Amino acid sequence: MRNNNCELIRRELDELMLGEAWSAAATAHLRECAECREFHEQQTKLRQIVGSLGTVEAPADFDFRLRARLANDASSAPPIYWAIARRGLAVAAMVIVVVTGFVVVRDVMRQMENNGEVAQKPQVQQPAKPDEPTPVVKEEKKPEQVVAGVTPVTIRKIRPTQADYRKQPLSTKDVSSLGAKVLNGTEPAGVSAAFPIDSSAQSITVSLEDGRGNAKTISVPTVSFGSQRIVQGGNQFAPKRDW
Amino acid sequence: MNTLTTIDELGFAPALQQDVLEDTTSDHALLEATRSGDQDAFAELVSRYRNQITSYIYRMTNDYDGAVDLAQETFVRVYRAADRYQRSYAFSTYIYRIATNLAISELRKRKRRKLVSLTGFFQPSDGGEAKELNPPDGRPLQDLELVDTERRNAVQRAIGTLPEKYRAPLILRDVDGRSYDEIAKILETSEGTVKSRISRARGFLREKMRAYL
Repeated sequence: MRNNNCELIRRELDELMLGEAWSAAATAHLRECAECREFHEQQTKLRQIVGSLGTVEAPADFDFRLRARLANDASSAPPIYWAIARRGLAVAAMVIVVVTGFVVVRDVMRQMENNGEVAQKPQVQQPAKPDEPTPVVKEEKKPEQVVAGVTPVTIRKIRPTQADYRKQPLSTKDVSSLGAKVLNGTEPAGVSAAFPIDSSAQSITVSLEDGRGNAKTISVPTVSFGSQRIVQGGNQFAPKRDW
Repeated sequence: MNTLTTIDELGFAPALQQDVLEDTTSDHALLEATRSGDQDAFAELVSRYRNQITSYIYRMTNDYDGAVDLAQETFVRVYRAADRYQRSYAFSTYIYRIATNLAISELRKRKRRKLVSLTGFFQPSDGGEAKELNPPDGRPLQDLELVDTERRNAVQRAIGTLPEKYRAPLILRDVDGRSYDEIAKILETSEGTVKSRISRARGFLREKMRAYL
């Protein structure tokens, strides 16, 4: 029966080159183990047969054919500048495709944002007529400080960004519980009064109490584009006199 | 008495000359010269390796014309890649690696095309162990030369039926007599794997060649 020692000895003999000397342990084992001896004889014979295959000679015209092949390859190879040009064209084409893709994606996204903006805009839009003065609203949000304009002020409206539109849902703000600042005409001349209400995204209706029981309602139309100027007394809702 | 002894008298001269000669005509030096456009250097490399490479590929593919073609392709690749050649390995390892890859690629192509070859005629389609096309005749032959020829043909056919992963290391070891280290480098695997594959390949062959052993 084969044991672990047989495996080791066979492996050792298998790894040696033919004719190479093996260890004394292997010699002793082969003397005792008939199975391993037979295996070793068969293995040696097999390796001798395989080794007898020897080398096959290349044909006599091997060199000639090889030279012809190399010459043929050299003549049929494309010139180096064409290879460089081809690579350059490939890179240019890739850049064009990437840039075009970027522009298209950007336009599509812009289009989608515009659509969203239209959906968020209030229903009532009153475009400013050329001969009709338009109220001006400043960007700062200070709804408590509503002051009537005293002197003509020219304020260039800053166009709100897309993000601003999103941040301003259509809503109503009631400031009637807050006391309004009373103007009694003692303000120094030349002090401009601003309307710190942003009505660019929605129309606003402001109700004011003048302290004598008279209520004034001012509707501020939506300003959606362009810039406006304040024209003193031009607004039909503007006060005609000091309160 | 002149105590100075010339190198010639010591008998070192031939050895030194041989060293210098080997240095200038080593495979690496020849490839360097090829790189700089020396066609004769490349011709020398071809003459050194053409038989070895042709023979090796023939043992792998069992097709002489195809082997010559692949051997030429091997040299073409060496020539084309001369600029990129690195001296980290022996040139023989490098060229044998190219030849091995080409031979294995050819064997796989054949398998895909289901090309019928003489040795693979009875090869099962599942890639399993092939049956012997020409089983050995048990009758004794009188002519010893004929016996040898028959035996060599049988072993060549048997090698042709081995899976490629066993075939290459067996040929490199038992036909070409290369070391395990070199075979491992050629096949880009470990020495242990090489030894294991060679052992298994011999096992397969022993079963197939039982009638001749």
